[in-house]
Amino acid sequence: MTLNRLISRRQVLRTGAAFTAMSALSPARVAMAGPTEDPFVLRAAAGQAALRPAPYGPTNVWGYNGSVPGPEIRVRQGDRIRVLARNGLDEGTTVHWHGIRTPNAMDGVPFLTQDPIPVGGDLLYEFDAPDAGTFWYHPHQRSSEQVGRGLYGPLIVEEANPIRVDRDLTWMLDDWRMTGDGQIATDFGSRHDAAHGGRIGNSVTINGQIPERIAVRSGERIRLRLVNAANARIFGLDFGGLAPVVVALDGQPVAPHAPDGDVVLVGPAMRVDLVIDMTGKPGESVTVTDVFYRDLEYRLVDLAYEPDRLRDAVPDWSMALPPNPLAEPDMQAAKRHRIVFNGGMMGQMMMGGGMGSMLEQMREGNMWFINGEAATGHMMDPLLVLPQGTSHVLEMDNRTAWHHPMHLHGHSFRVIARNGQPTRHREWQDTVLMAPEERVEIAFVADNPGDWMFHCHILEHQAAGMMGVIRVDSGTTKT
Amino acid sequence: MKKLIGLGSLGTAGAAAVFALSLNAAPVAAQEATLYKNPQCGCCESYADYLRENGFTVEVKPTHDLAQISRDAGIPEDFQGCHTTFLGDYVVSGHVPIDVVKKLLDERPDIAGLTLPGMPLGSPGMGGAKQEPFKIYTVEEGVNPTVYAVE
Repeated sequence: MTLNRLISRRQVLRTGAAFTAMSALSPARVAMAGPTEDPFVLRAAAGQAALRPAPYGPTNVWGYNGSVPGPEIRVRQGDRIRVLARNGLDEGTTVHWHGIRTPNAMDGVPFLTQDPIPVGGDLLYEFDAPDAGTFWYHPHQRSSEQVGRGLYGPLIVEEANPIRVDRDLTWMLDDWRMTGDGQIATDFGSRHDAAHGGRIGNSVTINGQIPERIAVRSGERIRLRLVNAANARIFGLDFGGLAPVVVALDGQPVAPHAPDGDVVLVGPAMRVDLVIDMTGKPGESVTVTDVFYRDLEYRLVDLAYEPDRLRDAVPDWSMALPPNPLAEPDMQAAKRHRIVFNGGMMGQMMMGGGMGSMLEQMREGNMWFINGEAATGHMMDPLLVLPQGTSHVLEMDNRTAWHHPMHLHGHSFRVIARNGQPTRHREWQDTVLMAPEERVEIAFVADNPGDWMFHCHILEHQAAGMMGVIRVDSGTTKT
Repeated sequence: MKKLIGLGSLGTAGAAAVFALSLNAAPVAAQEATLYKNPQCGCCESYADYLRENGFTVEVKPTHDLAQISRDAGIPEDFQGCHTTFLGDYVVSGHVPIDVVKKLLDERPDIAGLTLPGMPLGSPGMGGAKQEPFKIYTVEEGVNPTVYAVE
């Protein structure tokens, strides 16, 4: 069976589904062809998307396979993912498989792990999916603009035995800076954005649309996979009277728990899997509100109950996901490394004076520093060289007045402490949100050889210097 | 150029008239200001307090559209301060010292407003020690900023 037939059959099936309001909101799903068949083709190109509801016209975007988000790639744990990435843009690009522990050569970082795919060119990405969970893909080349214009899509790896739910939904959240005529503002690379909280926009979409309401059923249990694809906006979602349970963070299972303060925090590039029981009555509705930025709270969407009831009582099905095959860090033997972040407006460095060389660099547009260094490209001397198979703790010290979602490529790590206090869940993440002035400790086994990016996923912070390289040395790696 | 000045003068005359009127009506009324700031910026709140201490009534409005607001007010990107205040007809961008703000309101020059680019240490609301004299620039539609005051 060819992939095209698979897609079209799925689309037909979805059109006929009971929740037509949702099917319009769901990204197109694709499955992987077998290892001997043609790979799935993912083409990046300019196009148009109906981000805003009628009567507004379409928005010029860059998208994968003509849609925003790109197609939802869905595989089973352990499957081989084979994607032929084609570049239909007017500039070079790459695809990074965010959170998937790929071999280094498949990581999609320009110059560090591959040459950018040239205009009109293509590249076959081929790797296994070792961990089940919610992941995503996006370019790593000039990502502030390429992701900011719409190049991203969900990558879902299904468990062999998933937890039981009535519906499995993906919400890819994005935040666009739109002009009055509904087009993307072209002020990418603004110095103000770089020095403050990044390119925060004015129009938030779920799966490329601004929906009024989403249909749910009384008694229904939903697994909601939240993916934050925004350049810079942090989401803090309040589900009104509902009681969402966090079951996975960045794709990795976590002990099911209520979110702190009943607000689901999703920093840029992070994912949160929720289990939500729809406990309202038929005909009611509940508002999902984003409360992260004080005095700028807004209604994200309404969940509207259908007239019929699916079941009367909350089901007692387990919410615990099976663990992924991650190496447990040896905390006794772990080597500790201190990593200090500086820069941006109102940082300790600015306010305290001194450190003149960093201030000088900030005038040049290099706003952010890791251990005193502001990166000017993806190629640089490694911040750390870690022998393969050894355990490490990174003591991260955010000496800035801003949030930073720090992403390590090629690995998942345990978040073990915040401001000196052990974390309750020792959660596995690949992107950890540091609050202003916060100290965060992460632990991991450096088990994936190669040169890996370690960077802020506020893409304007990354572009303005906030990235480094961590080398996992197999002993044969050239230095 | 002549035409531009003419239009600008009209605007200033109108503003002056309003100012005189308000003086007659309520001599103790504080000057009102609206300050747009990044929702996560603390220094901008300190600058709002600084204006309040100097007799202004300040409304603080957090926004994610600060760059756009500054651009719409005619402030070139390289000259933008970290927050934008509207005082009557004038825009004042960044941590401009009160003496310069008062000079602007007294002299009522034919410009859109003033800006102190960036967030210089030691400026009002910023804290830290002053590193160098503050250069406050004019903001004028279609005209390159020029130094209005050095503090």
